[in-house]
Amino acid sequence: MVLTTMLELFVSFLKIGMTSFGGMSMVPLINAEMLNHGWMTVREVADIVAIAEMTPGPLGLNCATFAGMRVAGLPGAVCANLGVLFPTYSIGWVAAVFFERFKSSNIMQCLLYGIRPVCIGMVISVVIDLSQSNYMLDGNLYIQPILIGIVALILLMKGKQRIPVVIIVSAVLGILIVR
Amino acid sequence: MEGSCWKKAWKLFLFYAKIGIFTFGGGWGILAEMRKEFVEKEQIITDEELLDVTSVGRSLPGTMIGNVSFLFGYHIGGPICGFAALIGMIFWPFIILSVITFIYARVLDNIYVARAMVGIRAAVVPIMVAAIIPLGRQALQDRIAWIIMGAAFLLCSFGRNNILAVVLGAITGYLIKGVLKVGSDNNA
Repeated sequence: MVLTTMLELFVSFLKIGMTSFGGMSMVPLINAEMLNHGWMTVREVADIVAIAEMTPGPLGLNCATFAGMRVAGLPGAVCANLGVLFPTYSIGWVAAVFFERFKSSNIMQCLLYGIRPVCIGMVISVVIDLSQSNYMLDGNLYIQPILIGIVALILLMKGKQRIPVVIIVSAVLGILIVR
Repeated sequence: MEGSCWKKAWKLFLFYAKIGIFTFGGGWGILAEMRKEFVEKEQIITDEELLDVTSVGRSLPGTMIGNVSFLFGYHIGGPICGFAALIGMIFWPFIILSVITFIYARVLDNIYVARAMVGIRAAVVPIMVAAIIPLGRQALQDRIAWIIMGAAFLLCSFGRNNILAVVLGAITGYLIKGVLKVGSDNNA
């Protein structure tokens, strides 16, 4: 039973690793895998993204550790990490061997031309999902988080604040105004 | 970098374990440190080589900085060094996240923690929006790209199939740019 879960975690994060290109482009895939397996709610996915952004290390690996730990403890975290790193030690290895040929590969540029807009579309879709979960309560607008979201957006776009700062400010505002 | 393969691997592990702890939200900080250490101080790699490693690492699937660390280690001393760099890079983040997950499950019932989490969740959407705006400028430089984005959005929102969207996007990209040779020429 535990072994099946670990294998499922590995396969899920392998899919996430193979079809994403780092950073935020991983969030939609993590969201889909977690919901499909019933491992997490949309709310918990938002928590992972926030925690992964607040702590050192790449987002994808931090999400893998968090999700793996929650679902199946330390062995789960190891499996999830091995899964998300799979493209690195498989395709990456091949690329390292053929490095000189790979770096100017035209095919890769063509594939990326199609994949980059897909990443944007995926992220927008997840932003809508997360908005419903984070700014609504029992079908009504949830005013306090909306205000905090506006403050966070201003801090990021106009204030050029770094993400850990924005998260800490939002947490403090949450403690002060959320009821 | 002097010494045997294992010695090099140990050095790489220590270097990545040291800088891995300072990277918040993405791997660009690690790249800056790599440049300082290996281009300026140790002079074992040129700026150009570092740029090549980075651009290959970026165009492969998976975590950008994971790919870059592995490729760089491999470039310095073969597969053992590649894995040493990779393990060093994930060492501290893995331990820190494990501890945080452990604490997270235990403190979530606390009313103040719960309120703080409502606030933090409220910041996630703005963070994602701020992150995709520059990416969008890079990715959406012509009408075809906008159409691909719209199709992907519909497929993900209503079909719930992200992986199919990525695969179809890759095929479309290949057909449009590789076979038909149209579409804008951004290699960013």
